[in-house]
Amino acid sequence: MAVKELRALTPEELGRAAERLRNPAAGSRMAAAKKYGIDLTLLITQLRLTPAERVARMLEVSQVAERVRGAARRRRQ
Amino acid sequence: MSLDTAVQALVDAGAEFVIIGGWSAILHGSRFMADDLDICFSRKRENLRCLAQALAPYHPRLRDVPGAIFTLDTDLGGIDLLAEVSGLGTFADVKAVSIAVEAFGRQVLTLDLKSLIKAKRAAGREQDLRALPSWKASSRPGNHETPLGLKIA
Repeated sequence: MAVKELRALTPEELGRAAERLRNPAAGSRMAAAKKYGIDLTLLITQLRLTPAERVARMLEVSQVAERVRGAARRRRQ
Repeated sequence: MSLDTAVQALVDAGAEFVIIGGWSAILHGSRFMADDLDICFSRKRENLRCLAQALAPYHPRLRDVPGAIFTLDTDLGGIDLLAEVSGLGTFADVKAVSIAVEAFGRQVLTLDLKSLIKAKRAAGREQDLRALPSWKASSRPGNHETPLGLKIA
């Protein structure tokens, strides 16, 4: 059986997704997440990226966080 | 932390594994940070040899062995190796619900979004349950095979 593939959204798919995330239908999972306090517009930003770009961006964020933690540790010593 | 190097080393050594946990969520569009790399691995003898060969240059130190999990500290960051995943089962079960993705500079397997949510719910850790509402927003009701963040070819 062929393995399915995770790819970036097409502009049309992204447009539809962004519309649903900005205006979630009443009673939907998205509406529930919004009510819970999730900023759904931030998901739109992520969905604009390819999966590889999502990983690359998060690795960058991790590295910055690590440098900040290291600097804070050195300051305490 | 250079977890991309770890993933590349595992792929290049021919290891059979599926990316699960926080980095799987990131592939699907999550903005929650993940510290460790969680992978589910095949327990075949040949695969264990590949895993050891891939990680040896990065000085893996065993942190803990809670159940069927090896938690390692390496020069590249934390790596958790799971032989089984809560709510999903063994490597064969996990592989059956995985999808291919180009990331970390290689083609790798990761959980589909429906299975990722199922595993996190089964694990029941507070940190995972906090992230669940965001991930569930990324899946279309009634159509788990084509969640919002995916184009499935």
